[in-house]
Amino acid sequence: MRIRNLAAVGLVLFTVGACSSSATTAPNNGSPAKAYNLTLIQGVAGDPFYVTMACGAQAEAAKEGVNLTVTGGNKWDATVQKPVIDSVTAAHPDGVMVAPDDSKALLDPLKSMSDAGIKVTFVDTKLDDTSFAVSSIATDNLAGGTLAAKTLAQLIGDKGTVLVVNVDPGISTTDARVKGFQDEMKNHPNITVLDVQYTHDDPTAATTITTSTLAAHPDLAGVFATNVQNAEGVAAGLKQAGNTTVKTIAFDAGPKQIEDLNAGIVQGLIAQDPYGIGVAGVQQTVLALKGEATTATIQTQLAAITKDNVNDPSIQKYLYKASCS
Amino acid sequence: MTALTPGRARAIRLAIAVRLEPLAERWRAFSATRGGGLVARTLGTNAAWIFLLLVALMVIFDILAPGKFLTEFNVRTMAENVSVLLVIAVGETFVMATGGIDLSVGYVLLFSGVTSAQVMNWGGHDPTDSGWDVVLLGLVVALGSGLAWGVLNGLVVAKAKVPPLIATLGTLGMSWGLAEILSNGQDLRYLPRIIGDMGAGRVFDEVPYVVVVAALVAVVGAVMLNMTRFGRYTLAIGSNQEAARRAGINVDRHLIKVYAMSGMLAGFAAFMSLAIFTTTTISGHANDNLQAIAAVVIGGTSLVGGVATVVGTTIGVCIPMVLFSGFTILGYQSFWRDVAVGAVLILAVYADQMRRRRRERS
Repeated sequence: MRIRNLAAVGLVLFTVGACSSSATTAPNNGSPAKAYNLTLIQGVAGDPFYVTMACGAQAEAAKEGVNLTVTGGNKWDATVQKPVIDSVTAAHPDGVMVAPDDSKALLDPLKSMSDAGIKVTFVDTKLDDTSFAVSSIATDNLAGGTLAAKTLAQLIGDKGTVLVVNVDPGISTTDARVKGFQDEMKNHPNITVLDVQYTHDDPTAATTITTSTLAAHPDLAGVFATNVQNAEGVAAGLKQAGNTTVKTIAFDAGPKQIEDLNAGIVQGLIAQDPYGIGVAGVQQTVLALKGEATTATIQTQLAAITKDNVNDPSIQKYLYKASCS
Repeated sequence: MTALTPGRARAIRLAIAVRLEPLAERWRAFSATRGGGLVARTLGTNAAWIFLLLVALMVIFDILAPGKFLTEFNVRTMAENVSVLLVIAVGETFVMATGGIDLSVGYVLLFSGVTSAQVMNWGGHDPTDSGWDVVLLGLVVALGSGLAWGVLNGLVVAKAKVPPLIATLGTLGMSWGLAEILSNGQDLRYLPRIIGDMGAGRVFDEVPYVVVVAALVAVVGAVMLNMTRFGRYTLAIGSNQEAARRAGINVDRHLIKVYAMSGMLAGFAAFMSLAIFTTTTISGHANDNLQAIAAVVIGGTSLVGGVATVVGTTIGVCIPMVLFSGFTILGYQSFWRDVAVGAVLILAVYADQMRRRRRERS
């Protein structure tokens, strides 16, 4: 009997030892400067937006000669991210770039992290209270929403009913996008904006919402999906309903979205610059660790991608990756 | 003060012994159900082996991440992060002891959190400075909501004879949907400051209140399961429901009580979650039910009922968290954590089955 339990322990050891697929980047230059340890806590692991951000962060980390570890929960959920944040604090890196899943619920754990002497930088989302952070780096999501509204209005001929498919209230980024969208639509009196629908970052929910809205509003002209997961769900919903007249604007330009754009399922993509956010995140954190001046707020660029400009070299850098290689 | 003569001292000792006698009687009865000496009995339990596994894991992670894993900070936050799950898992232990299962716990928790938060926000004014009366009302509402869903589960399982898997799957959907309707899909983020302070506060500045509370729930649960008639009936029903019925146990009523208890504990866990996160975390709790069941099973409770241990559940709750924290500290890719927890779950149950079969054979 003891042997079986030893085998159980042994297997865990093996699993731990064999997990050499860690996402740690070692510095590749013999720089005499101290090799700081940084950790990037993604909002959710596996999302092309955050994968691209990690790619940018890793590239910048290699350039600056610092170590970078990337981690994140497997769901966009504050209750899942809290243990991740606590464990990263226990690991005590020198600096952490984090995208909090909730602007209020994670205040205590992140404050503890900062109190422990770790430099905290917000990337993409942030807390309501940013006083203890080195810097907050995000897309100008308000401008993104405005750009989405203008592009969609153009695509649907400036009249008709439009639907907004959002993630959850309380996420700083998507809230700003919706606000920008709704504010801009006030300038378009012939467009009716339906009540915002929430999907909890679940593409299946987005699909169901799209098909139900189509059934209830056959004259639906346009849809605005506020992130990658929602965009995927909306595209699937339109496909299911066999609809080809509804124009969709989606936030984020993941590989699947580019495919959909080229296939004509989605008509416009508002791309952020997650690679740039990752780069800036590492830069700001290293500046803080060196004791140099940092910038409190950095807003990165957006681009509106349509079938016409998707192959432009200047647009290529805005496309998200599913893996860094 | 009157002098303490030997006679008076003897009388006091006798008075205390008389009052403690029923408790001693119960302990003797409990001990007599297990053969052998205390040490041999303890080592023979599954809980002992799972505890060894937990200690082994902690030692391994301490070796791999010296000075980072076994720090006061990390042990404290790990305990804090399992406290809500432990409360749910204690309720789940009782349900699984009857041979049933409760899949609705995560969303009953969500629903109770929403109703509790809404009641505390009643009147539309900012509840941040509300007093203890509002907070206590919130607690009562959370417990009541959980209790209501638990009773519903119990009625459907006991009276309507719907299999527990299906019954609680149904209440899972209903409580989730109702929670979404009541909250309009939006998190309630304004709660009395007192609640947030309780969630963050510590005893002696060391042990978080939520950990103490969860530990108390576990202790009460363990005592109830092993040393009360309620616990004995629960195990009897799980072991052989028909025999229990013929022995005179009101099985239907007892099942309702057990599911009601599970629901009420989910409601209590909701209040704890509100204290820790100060929001209703509507997008969360999707996997609470499976995590609770995994913890209960790792701890040694049988899936078909009749055998259960709250001590085992407590240890079972810690193992996935230790793996989670250790892997994150070591910087391994997020998804390996999930692989490891799944593997440990299977191994732990396999080891338990082997032990059981060996014991039955001998």
